[in-house]
Amino acid sequence: MKRKRVAKLSRFSEVQTAWLFMGPGLILLALFTFWPIIYSVPLAFTNYSVIGETSFVGFENFKRAFSDINFIASVKNSLLYMIIVPFIQILSILMAILVNRKIAGIKFFRAAFYIPVVTSMVAVSIIWGWLMSSNGVLNYILLSIGIVNEKINWLSDKDTALWALMFITLWKGLGYYMMIYLAGLQAVPTDCIEAAKIDGASNFQVIRKITIPLLKPYVFFCTLISLMSAIRVFDEVFVLTSGGPGNETLTSSLYIYQQGFEVFEFGYSSALGLIISFIIMFFSIFIFLFNKKGGVNPY
Amino acid sequence: MDKAMKNRKVLKAIQNKFLIYIPLTLFALLMMGPFLWLLSVSLMPGKNVFAFPPAIFPTFIDFKNYVDVWRYMDFLKYIWNTVIITFFGVVFSILLCSLTAYPLAIFKFKGKNIIFVALIATMIIPAAAGLVVNYLTINKLGLINTFTGVVLPSLVTVFNVFLFRQAFMGIPSDIRDSGKMDGASEFRIWWQLMMPMIKPAIAVVALFEFMASWNSFLWPIIVLNTDKYPLASALSTLNGQFSFNFGWIAAGTVISVLPIIIVFLLTQKYFMEGISGAIKG
Repeated sequence: MKRKRVAKLSRFSEVQTAWLFMGPGLILLALFTFWPIIYSVPLAFTNYSVIGETSFVGFENFKRAFSDINFIASVKNSLLYMIIVPFIQILSILMAILVNRKIAGIKFFRAAFYIPVVTSMVAVSIIWGWLMSSNGVLNYILLSIGIVNEKINWLSDKDTALWALMFITLWKGLGYYMMIYLAGLQAVPTDCIEAAKIDGASNFQVIRKITIPLLKPYVFFCTLISLMSAIRVFDEVFVLTSGGPGNETLTSSLYIYQQGFEVFEFGYSSALGLIISFIIMFFSIFIFLFNKKGGVNPY
Repeated sequence: MDKAMKNRKVLKAIQNKFLIYIPLTLFALLMMGPFLWLLSVSLMPGKNVFAFPPAIFPTFIDFKNYVDVWRYMDFLKYIWNTVIITFFGVVFSILLCSLTAYPLAIFKFKGKNIIFVALIATMIIPAAAGLVVNYLTINKLGLINTFTGVVLPSLVTVFNVFLFRQAFMGIPSDIRDSGKMDGASEFRIWWQLMMPMIKPAIAVVALFEFMASWNSFLWPIIVLNTDKYPLASALSTLNGQFSFNFGWIAAGTVISVLPIIIVFLLTQKYFMEGISGAIKG
C-alpha cells in the first residue's frame, strides 16, 4: 500500500522534476539567447540611440543598410571569409591522418598542434601582428626563400590584409578541427582497414574509400561550425586591423559592434544584426538540406 | 635471399617511420614557432622584434621585461579577476547545463520536443546583435561592472547542453532504476549516480569553458571597468597603450597564455578521451 503510493507520487512529480531541473538553465537561455533575438526585431525599427528621443522609424534602418557602402563591404568581406572553410577542412583532415598513429612522441605533436586553439585571440593577434609587419619575421623568411621580392606590410596593405587575417584564423582553428577528425578516425574500425589492405588496397585507396566516407558526419559538423565562425569572425579583426585599411577587412560582426558600441546607434545596429542573421540562416538551412540528402546527423 | 628481403622490408618500415616525422615537425614548427619566438622576444629586453635577421633563439636571457610589466600592470589583480570569472564560469556552466540536459535525455514529458526544437533553432539563428540587447539586459538587472554580469550570459550554451544530453543518453537505464529502488530522490540520482558516469563529458565542457572564460576579452570590456578586467582584456589595452614597448607586451602575453597552456597539457588526456566520446553521437 505504502509502496504503491510512493510509486504514484514519483510518477506524478516526474514532469515537475523535469521543469525544476531545467528551470535555471532555460531561464538563462531565454534571457540571454532568445531575448536578444526577439527584442532586436522591434529595436530594428526604431532609431534607438544614446542621444535623442526614441521613435518608430519603419523600414528606415533597412533602407539605410542597403545603401550603406560600409555595410555592403562588410557583408562582402564576411562572405569572402568563408573561402577558408575548405582549406581548414582539408588541412585539418590531413593533420588528423598524420597524428593518427602510434609512434614515439605523437602526443607531443598532437598537443603542439592544439596549443594555438587554447590561447586567446588577443595573444595570437599580438604575435601575428608583429610577425606580419613589414620588418617582421614572415617577410624575412619569405624574402630569404625568394617567394616575395619586397617587404609587404601584410596587415595594412589593402590587397593582402583580409587574406592575412584569414591565415591567422586558419592557423588558430586547425588544431580544433584536427582533434575532432582524430576522434572520428579513431572510431574507424581497424579490422575494416586491415581487411581492405589484405585485399590489396593501397593507402590512398583506404583513405578515399573507407576513411573519408566514415568521416562524413564529422565533415558535416566541422563544416557547419567553421562556416558559422567564418561569417561571425570578430576578435582577430577587432584587435589587428579594426576593419582597415579603409574598409578592406571590415566584417559584418565588427560593423554591427561599431554601430552599437562606438556610434551607439542601437536601432541601426539591431537592424544590421537581423540582416546578417537572415544570411546565416539561409546558409545553415542550405547545409542542413544538403546534409539530409547525405543522410548523416551529428546529433 | 629471404633474409635480405626481410631486412629490406624492415629498413623500409624504419624509413617510412622517419619520413612521417618530417611533415609532423614542419607542422609543429608552424604551430609552435610563433609562441617560441614570442618567448624569446620577451626574454631579451632591448632587442627589437623587427630585427633583421629575426632572433628565433634568445642570445641572452633576462627577466627584466617580466619584472617591469608585472610592476606596471598589477598583474596579480588581473590574474585574480580572471581566476574568479573562470572559476564561476566553469562550475556553474557544468551544473546548469547538465541539469538542463538531464531531463532532456532521461525523462518523457510534454513539451520536450518543443524545447528541443527551440534549442536547435538557436544554433541556426545566431544572435549577431545579441551584444547590444544583452548589454541592455545586464544594465537593467543592475549588473554592470560586476563579475556576475560577465559570467551570466554565457553560462548556458546549447552546445554544452547537447553534449551532456548525449553523455546521459549513453548511461544504461538500470542505473537510474536501481537508484529509484533504493528510494533516492531524482536529484540524488543525478548528482551521485549519473554525474560520476559522465566524467569525460564534464572534462570536455570544463576545458572548453575554461578556455572560453580565460580568453574572453570583448564582453568583459563592454561590461566592466578597467580595474576589473580579466587578463585578455587587460592585454588588449596594454597592446593599445604601449604598442611601441614590445618587450613588455611580449612578457605580458607570455604571462597571460602560460596558465592556459599548462592547464591544457595537464588535462590533455581526459580532454582527448572526452572529445571522442562527445562528438561520436
